[in-house]
Amino acid sequence: MATLQINGKTMDIGEIDPSTPLLWVLRDELGLVGTKYGCGIAQCGACTVHLDGAPVRSCQIPVGNLTNQAITTIEGLAAADGTLTPVQEAWVEIDVPQCGYCQAGQIMSATALLRTNSNPSDAEIDAAMSGNICRCATYTRIRQAIKTAASNMNSTAFYDAAQTGEQA
Amino acid sequence: MKLIKNDQFSPELPEFFQEVAKEPSVGIGIPEVSRREFFKISTIAGGGLAIGLAMGSSPKAKAQAGSTETTTLSPYVQIQPNGRINIFSKNPECGQGIKTGLPLIIAEELDCAWEDVDVVQADIDASKYGAQFAGGSLSTPQNWMAMRRAGATARAMILAAAAQQLNIPVSELSTSDTKVVHVTSGREWGYGEFSELAATMPVPEADSLTLKTQDQFKLLGRRFTGVDNVDIVTGKPLFGADTRMDGMLYASYTKCPQIGGRALSFNEDHIKSLPGVVDAFIIDENGTPKVFSPGAGDMFSGVAVVAESTWTAIKAKRELEIEWDLSNAEVASWSDLVERAYALEDQEGEPLMINQFLNGRGSPPTRVSANKGDVDSVLQNAATVVSGFYEYPYVSHAQLEPETCVAKYENGSVEIWAPAQIPQSGETGSAALLGIPAEEAAERVVLHQTRIGGGFGRKLANDYVFEVVAIARRMEGVPIKLQWTREDDMSGDYFRPGGFHSYKAGLDSVGNLTAWQDHFITSTGNDTAPMTSADLNPNVFPMDLTDNVKLSQTMFHNAIPTGPMRAPSSNAIAFSFQSFMHELAVASGKSHVEFMLDTLGEPRLAIPENPQSMHTGRAANVISEVARLSGYEQGASEPGRGKGLSFYFCHSGYVAQVADVSVSANKEVKVHKVWAVADFGFIHNLSGAENQLEGGIIDGISQLFNSKITFENGVIQQQNFHQYPLLRMPQTPELEVAFLEPEEFSPTGGGEPSMPPVLAAVTNAIYNATGERIRKMPLFELGYKLV
Repeated sequence: MATLQINGKTMDIGEIDPSTPLLWVLRDELGLVGTKYGCGIAQCGACTVHLDGAPVRSCQIPVGNLTNQAITTIEGLAAADGTLTPVQEAWVEIDVPQCGYCQAGQIMSATALLRTNSNPSDAEIDAAMSGNICRCATYTRIRQAIKTAASNMNSTAFYDAAQTGEQA
Repeated sequence: MKLIKNDQFSPELPEFFQEVAKEPSVGIGIPEVSRREFFKISTIAGGGLAIGLAMGSSPKAKAQAGSTETTTLSPYVQIQPNGRINIFSKNPECGQGIKTGLPLIIAEELDCAWEDVDVVQADIDASKYGAQFAGGSLSTPQNWMAMRRAGATARAMILAAAAQQLNIPVSELSTSDTKVVHVTSGREWGYGEFSELAATMPVPEADSLTLKTQDQFKLLGRRFTGVDNVDIVTGKPLFGADTRMDGMLYASYTKCPQIGGRALSFNEDHIKSLPGVVDAFIIDENGTPKVFSPGAGDMFSGVAVVAESTWTAIKAKRELEIEWDLSNAEVASWSDLVERAYALEDQEGEPLMINQFLNGRGSPPTRVSANKGDVDSVLQNAATVVSGFYEYPYVSHAQLEPETCVAKYENGSVEIWAPAQIPQSGETGSAALLGIPAEEAAERVVLHQTRIGGGFGRKLANDYVFEVVAIARRMEGVPIKLQWTREDDMSGDYFRPGGFHSYKAGLDSVGNLTAWQDHFITSTGNDTAPMTSADLNPNVFPMDLTDNVKLSQTMFHNAIPTGPMRAPSSNAIAFSFQSFMHELAVASGKSHVEFMLDTLGEPRLAIPENPQSMHTGRAANVISEVARLSGYEQGASEPGRGKGLSFYFCHSGYVAQVADVSVSANKEVKVHKVWAVADFGFIHNLSGAENQLEGGIIDGISQLFNSKITFENGVIQQQNFHQYPLLRMPQTPELEVAFLEPEEFSPTGGGEPSMPPVLAAVTNAIYNATGERIRKMPLFELGYKLV
């Protein structure tokens, strides 16, 4: 029986068609519906999750190809007591979301950027975020929220993919 | 300047909202103020006060008003004994911020602290909430006064209860921050202390309520963040796509690529043999689905696959081999329409006729010509005549949440969970589809509204709701989730229609506009009237202010489905009208600002007898202010760079925008910055209003450069974002937005009027940068690239 390491927990996914994209395993089998379907061809970024801390499009990853990588979804960012990460906090305060459908993917891309670059330039933000479409066009607020999160970043409040992996 | 209050806002409704309003007890907009507008619903479970909006003659409302079984109701305000306040938000949330905006208005008049409020999404129930929809930028203006009175009614009942319980004259009591205050002693009590008694107080007459004046507002006018923000950033289930139920199965639905084809047979044995596939079957066409009609139950024929997971349903969809009956399928090709349209460039069409209600609304309209004055002779004597032929394409909504819906059918009744913009029409149409008589529909069809992952008008149509209802009927007792793929969405839209305008206009010797002529070339499905949102409103600025106007129309037979998209018809017309206005400004020898202000003239209503028509003073103010903010008259700072101006009035909103662009030798366009000044009346949530205005600007730039849907022999040619690119972060300009808030005006909606002007602001800027006039969208087809 197959298992996945998701948000620091070992999750049982039963017998499943190995061609099933991780996206649909998260949403249909595990009920982790924060990760969204937008295009199915890695064009929109709504399905972005982290594999060992790196942003990937979960619509393009057949679940059968996964081994023991640590998967982090939007549900795995905030602390167990509900404390938001600086990125989530900035998204709320700056009132980034309009419809909100793409924002999980945006936050996963922004979080991955800030994990490796705590003070990104505009060009670096552009490069890291250009795979994520926001049809409501909240881009100026996303940029502002990334900068705010960067300046508020506190290493203890920031999630650590390696650590959540170990907890599993 | 004499300004008109629009507290009794009652705009003319687009046709597609009229069916929502057909039921007189439902009504649309603010119901006529009755002696007693609100009825007390009851004591809620555990004590507390519940206030609902009575909808006059509704039998259901009356029954509820006299009932004590009330715990199933969702009124606007519930005050719990512990003092926390539940405020119910009636309309669908699709990113326009209404789930925050409407409860804020109630909270203001209730005089409670926003921190004490929990916002709850109301269920769909016309007898309690009247019309519930997200469209036409109408949610705020139509509910502004009703929400204020809902809050004020609850506050008055709490005060009355406090007076009785404390044995203090009500005249000595006031309220502040969810507390009753004894004015002379300064003693305070939380609202919760009086909630049980308040529920027994008589409901005050609507005309006895004292509403706050604007200077007494504590909440409204400030900046509030969305009430769902924390749930959004933590990935909580909110959207239609997130609905999950025990025992739920997943469905795909495959329609004919050639629009209107009907499924005859498919490789049923193979599909049913696939692992995880539970069932597969053909569903027949219902009604006339090529025509946008949210409440009729219309849907296209297709093949449903029901499976154990979304992925299984999608995989099986890819293996379908379907034989189609193409006898009623579309055969139109966009390339053919373009060729035929350009052949008409120098000709006039049939006179454009409009409906005039000579005997009032409700009686049949008379068809009359939209022409004014004598265009032919004025053009003959004009000092300058300018002409231009404009083209814009079909466009897809491309909301990021593809159509999805859950339904469960059992014992002749259906329960639906839908991200719908007109959920009440989803109920009406589902009843029609299932053959449920109207009088039984309220009992047998129940629709729950979810947050909508982007609407932009696409989810005004309920076709995907009807599809899952039809599938669920075949799978009785099993909750079914239908998931469209992006390909289903992009090729199965009710598109923004493409069209063409052949303009001719005259200027007199001092450069003033004297005559306007437009031959509008559009599409029709019935050879009588244009397709939905493919019509031309003869009151569009500057035709409303020009003495000599001649409008003609040619309709090509083409029933590719069309429907409203953000700022319907305005979203295309603004590009051509406001680009051509700049052509006229250049020909007049005046600056663009001066030409616009001269055309607007003295402050007045453009159509004196219509209080919803454009006010020229408000229009002039936003134009002057955006010119000042952007330094428009100073022009560009370097060669190859230019600023462009545009203005548009629609949905009661006034927006002027200036774009600053650079154009490189190889036609790479950088939009550096866009300034926008809007007059949407009073702004009650600044963060929400800014979000709408900023989003509209970028939406427009995205469409201008890259959005085009084409069809060949009735088959849509674009399937996903690689063929229909949307603007991304690196292409996003700097934005500066500001609002003029003339005190006399209550709020209007910002979602739609924010978008149209930017199209021409950018094309006019490209002209000012390069001298090249752009008369065709999208710009990528002219070799331009947005960078």
